[in-house]
Amino acid sequence: MIRFEHVSKSYGGTLVLDDLSFEIAPGQLAVLIGPSGCGKTTTLKTINRLIETDKGDIYVNGRSIARLNKVELRCSIGYVIQQIGLFPHMTVEQNICVVPKLLKYSKERCQKITHEMLELVKMPYEEYAHKYPNQLSGGQQQRIGVLRALAASPPIVLMDEPFGALDPMTRLVLQEEVRRLQQKLNKTIVFVTHDMDEALTMADTVIFMEKGRIVQMASPDEMLRNPASDLICSFMGKRSLNNQHLPQTVADIMRDKVVTVTKDHGVRASVELMSRKNIDTLILTNADGSYAGVVSVDRIKRSGKGYKTVEPLMNRGYPFSYEDEDGQVAFDKLIDGGVNYVVVLRRDRTVAGIVTKTSMARSMAEAVWGNGE
Amino acid sequence: MSWSMVMEHLFMVLLAVLFTIALGVPLGVCAYCFKPLRRVVLWSVEILQTIPAMALLGIIMVFLGAGKATVVIGLLLYALMPVVQNTCLGLTEVDPGVREVARGMGMMRFYRLLHVEMPIAIPYIFTGIRIAVVISVGVAVFATFVGGGGIGRAIYQAIRVHDVPTIISSTFTLMLMAIGLDTVMALAEKRLYSRFSPAEK
Repeated sequence: MIRFEHVSKSYGGTLVLDDLSFEIAPGQLAVLIGPSGCGKTTTLKTINRLIETDKGDIYVNGRSIARLNKVELRCSIGYVIQQIGLFPHMTVEQNICVVPKLLKYSKERCQKITHEMLELVKMPYEEYAHKYPNQLSGGQQQRIGVLRALAASPPIVLMDEPFGALDPMTRLVLQEEVRRLQQKLNKTIVFVTHDMDEALTMADTVIFMEKGRIVQMASPDEMLRNPASDLICSFMGKRSLNNQHLPQTVADIMRDKVVTVTKDHGVRASVELMSRKNIDTLILTNADGSYAGVVSVDRIKRSGKGYKTVEPLMNRGYPFSYEDEDGQVAFDKLIDGGVNYVVVLRRDRTVAGIVTKTSMARSMAEAVWGNGE
Repeated sequence: MSWSMVMEHLFMVLLAVLFTIALGVPLGVCAYCFKPLRRVVLWSVEILQTIPAMALLGIIMVFLGAGKATVVIGLLLYALMPVVQNTCLGLTEVDPGVREVARGMGMMRFYRLLHVEMPIAIPYIFTGIRIAVVISVGVAVFATFVGGGGIGRAIYQAIRVHDVPTIISSTFTLMLMAIGLDTVMALAEKRLYSRFSPAEK
């Protein structure tokens, strides 16, 4: 689909692309990654000739792009950038139809395209088509940015750190969405990022560059297993290094899938529930959902006879901690209390989860070795 | 001061501003598109602005004789600076991201200028025109010395015969005219800006 053959480019004596040769197969999502100044963005921009190469050839669909008309070439390649760059004086619909309009599609066809595009990201036409970009959130704007790139159904889309300016949550959602669209519409995407997490989650192929050369080109799995250089290692290791210095709150380390019942739950039903879930303690709540205490299967066995509900058997003094406290606090309670777990509460005293010895071990392991997959 | 003087004044101002737009906007676009020209153009219109208005009108009168043409050309030259500067500024201020995407999507230079850069620069250009209008209302007072008439004539005559009420009423009319035009244009400008300034949500 896209083939580089001995491509070089220099700016005032410095070589930014050094004899690059590689090929991206149709329908692949290839991620270009590397330290700043490695040439990844330059590589991307040579594909739609925003940057002209000095030496070598680039082939798109078997045709050398140097011989293609620039306008035609660019109209057949979608382009998405970090700054989004929606045209502020155009509505969402007009923005989406920029390339169709350049290609002189009819009005009806443009409108149909807008409908289809907005449909893809579940943004209702009636609500959004006539809004101006400044009336949308950052995430919505970049969605439109992506749709605009897809509008004329180009087989190839170039994305230059498209989610770099978005908040982490929106970023995750959009990564997911682009991946879904790419697979659904079978596009070839070249994606530049400096975020290894993003590269590993999105890519079919990761192309790691340094000083204008390709250091390694491999699937995410392969790169994780056999990183070709120390730099790649440190790029992948960065995540765990960062985490090490992040203060972990109780919420970060707790297990949030816990079984709670109200304290007026029947004794028999409680035992049955515990055996079914294969646990030995139940967390009890008051009728309003706030934390009341815990009850263990041992306690029920020892003195449960004669009681209808578990309330009288409840241990009110069981150690607990709040989810926004430092993880250390929960660990101390876990060890000092000689218990199997610590209940984690939200500030409104509802149950958020538990911290077990396993959570503690995992958290410590991550701190030591990083949280690589 | 008569109603016809007011209309005469307004006529000169509006005609001059029309010509200012016709000349100033293309000059601003040229200054933006051709970098080597930019400094020369901006510097020239700035120089024009430093010439005292009376002197400028006088110089033009030497070539064109007395009359409305002289006034209109004088006003045009005098009001050129804000229009040229704001046009050029508005175009250079276009978000580089927007410009890059436009290029990357296959718009060639002229198409880009017409469909992306100019529409985005319009609020800036409009501000320049608004300043030009206000300047012109004031400068047009000097028209009377080069045979142009307008409210300036009423003031000049009143000064000679010490007719203070007329001086005051004429001045007041001028102020009202300037404020009126400015307010109307400010309102229009606000609407232009609010349509696509990225600041508000």
